[in-house]
Amino acid sequence: MASEHASKQYDLDLGSIRTRVLQMGGLVESQIRRAMDGLASGDLALLEEVIADDHRVNAMEVALDGDCSHLIVRRQPAASDLRMIFAIAKTVTDLERIGDEAQKMARMAKAIHERGATPLPPAVDVRHAAEAAIAMLRRSLDAFARLDCDTAQEVIRDDVGIDAEFRSILRQLITYMMEDPRTISTALEIVWIAKAIERIGDHAKNMAEYVIYIVRGTDVRHTRKE
Amino acid sequence: MSAPETIMDELLATKAEARDLSFYYGDFRALKGISMPVHERKVTALIGPSGCGKSTFLRCFNRMHDLYPGNRYEGEIVLQPDNTNLLAGSIDPIDVRMRIGMVFQKPNPFPKTVFENVAYGLRVRGERSRRKIEEKVEQALQDAALWDEVKERLRQPAYNLSGGQQQRLCIARALATDPELLLFDEPTSALDPIATASIEELMHDLKERVTILIVTHNMQQAARVSDFTAYMYLGELVEFGVTDELFIKPQKKQTEDYITGRFG
Amino acid sequence: MHRKHQDVVFMLVGIVALMVAVLTFLTLFVNMAVDGLPRLDWQFFTNFPSRRAAQAGILSAWVGSTLVMLVTAFFAVPLGVASGVYLEEYARKNWVTDLIEINITNLAGVPSIVYGLLALGLFVYQFGLGQSILSAGLTLALLILPVVIVATREAIRSIPQVIREGSYALGATRWQTVRYHILPYSSAGILTGIIIGMARAIGETAPIITIGALTFIAFLPPAPIKSEPPFLSFDWLMSPFTVMPIQMFNWTSRPEAAFQDNAAAAGFVLVFMTLAMNGLAIWLRYRLRRNIKW
Repeated sequence: MASEHASKQYDLDLGSIRTRVLQMGGLVESQIRRAMDGLASGDLALLEEVIADDHRVNAMEVALDGDCSHLIVRRQPAASDLRMIFAIAKTVTDLERIGDEAQKMARMAKAIHERGATPLPPAVDVRHAAEAAIAMLRRSLDAFARLDCDTAQEVIRDDVGIDAEFRSILRQLITYMMEDPRTISTALEIVWIAKAIERIGDHAKNMAEYVIYIVRGTDVRHTRKE
Repeated sequence: MSAPETIMDELLATKAEARDLSFYYGDFRALKGISMPVHERKVTALIGPSGCGKSTFLRCFNRMHDLYPGNRYEGEIVLQPDNTNLLAGSIDPIDVRMRIGMVFQKPNPFPKTVFENVAYGLRVRGERSRRKIEEKVEQALQDAALWDEVKERLRQPAYNLSGGQQQRLCIARALATDPELLLFDEPTSALDPIATASIEELMHDLKERVTILIVTHNMQQAARVSDFTAYMYLGELVEFGVTDELFIKPQKKQTEDYITGRFG
Repeated sequence: MHRKHQDVVFMLVGIVALMVAVLTFLTLFVNMAVDGLPRLDWQFFTNFPSRRAAQAGILSAWVGSTLVMLVTAFFAVPLGVASGVYLEEYARKNWVTDLIEINITNLAGVPSIVYGLLALGLFVYQFGLGQSILSAGLTLALLILPVVIVATREAIRSIPQVIREGSYALGATRWQTVRYHILPYSSAGILTGIIIGMARAIGETAPIITIGALTFIAFLPPAPIKSEPPFLSFDWLMSPFTVMPIQMFNWTSRPEAAFQDNAAAAGFVLVFMTLAMNGLAIWLRYRLRRNIKW
């Protein structure tokens, strides 16, 4: 994949698609971050922004899928180009879902803060899990940009950690809810937030699996990792 | 992934095999030590850039090069089931061509009637029975998916047919003699997309009965019609494999570069 | 504008050149027709030559021409066609065949009187065939042999190689390919060449004179069909004879004006025969090439 196509336009088209995938990734990453900031600070305007940004993410998905179709029609890609386009189409889907999850997180955060006075349960573990998910997303985008299998492999392994964190958060919140029933509404909203984070981790793992497919041509989905 | 595993699971018989085949036009070595199987009742495609030797390689199978002076073969092409080396000096090229048929790039029907075209191969073999010839001609035209279109026009000149029909006529002509191996030399490069599609469809049906070796410069065609593909470059066989695998995940970078359009 | 002028000027030059050639021929032809047509009647064709111009006819001449043409065709056609086929389909292409090709083409330009001298020495004396129709036929056959060979080769060369390959790919031998493809498809060109050659031969005078065609023949060669066994006779081959051009030559060298008219009439007939043969060649070519698309 180092050398160039005989057609310059082909290289430009493909390059443009890849760049915009990374931009989409940056956008959803900032959505997650702003949702967590909004949760911590109660900044409703910020949370509204995150919710509104979903339109932009959807628009990017539509545009990128269209461009992928055009490229297939025009170039009939084969071998690594074929795997790349195929993987991009699927990555775009996963990124759009991450955007949906970020939007859900913002909605939950907004609901918590609109309810008002009830003190938030200690959310520090959620913050930590969120940071881990953001890191997975960032590293899988990085693996995609550099077509680096090693980074991708790491991301795939890290998903296990996020799943474990989610279960731990769940246990904590269940304990909390049992102690003080008045906090159940808020606690449940935090559970949804944690679930969204866990799903974000899964999507990032999928994106990493696609990178391995692009580079090596092997489909490692649904197989156990060492 | 299902298709490649299925084809490898099938019991593949080899119909013909090139063993270290080299070919010289005078002093120029056009083919360099090619070894490759041609599996029975499967379509094998030869792809590669112009001048890579794919047509030269194809024409070794029916000893077409013998028609012109100054050519020399080295190595073997072994035909099964009798394990005969087609290139041996003791084998008459005419006998080879009795067993192996060829369809050319530009449709080349003879300036005779449709019937005479298809019957020619039989006449050449000394078939005299009128009834037998008529039967075989009809069968061949049926096999080439042309019978319905020409059954009213058997005694009309073949040149009255359209390009696609003419090519199918040439296929019928080759089929009439029950060849064991059919060689196609870029059979659709002179045809429009609809005629091309009908020929490709025909190949799909034909391969149930006869082994096919096809040269094509159209990679998508190779991907569509063939079970196995061989990529050649400058007289050498670079890669040979199951078509789906070669086009999704080629083993060699050279192959990858060619099929993705990276010629730099 | 200057370029357009050049266009017009060249076109005019071309037309003038064409007109000169055409008008010259037309003038001669019309002249001959005017003088000769009145002489053309049934007697002209059925009378022997005579010292009296009014009673002279071309019977022995046109019968002689016809018989000589038969012999010419009999030898020139198989030899010429077979040579052409051999050179194109069987012989290996090397310097030897190139040399042969050059020589054959050159032979077509050898002056016809040289053929006459050759024939005199070889056929008339060496082989002892005498001054006969057979000698004349053989001489003219040699004369037009290059024409036939070249026409055969050209016709064969115009057959696309893919047709041959198509035949061989079906397992045909070389002879089968020649018999079922090469000869049928080149027949138009070959026949054209034969007829052109014959049209030339019919008018050749010098070689015929050299081998001794007589100028005053008041008899016909013996008939080929006899009433007694073996019913077929070849005596006519060894018979003395005359041909049309020689009869014309004989008449033009007489002082009487009436004989000039006779010569003109004979000339008209000769030209007509030549044109008719060319016309036949064109028609045959059209008919035989109808199915050929190259």
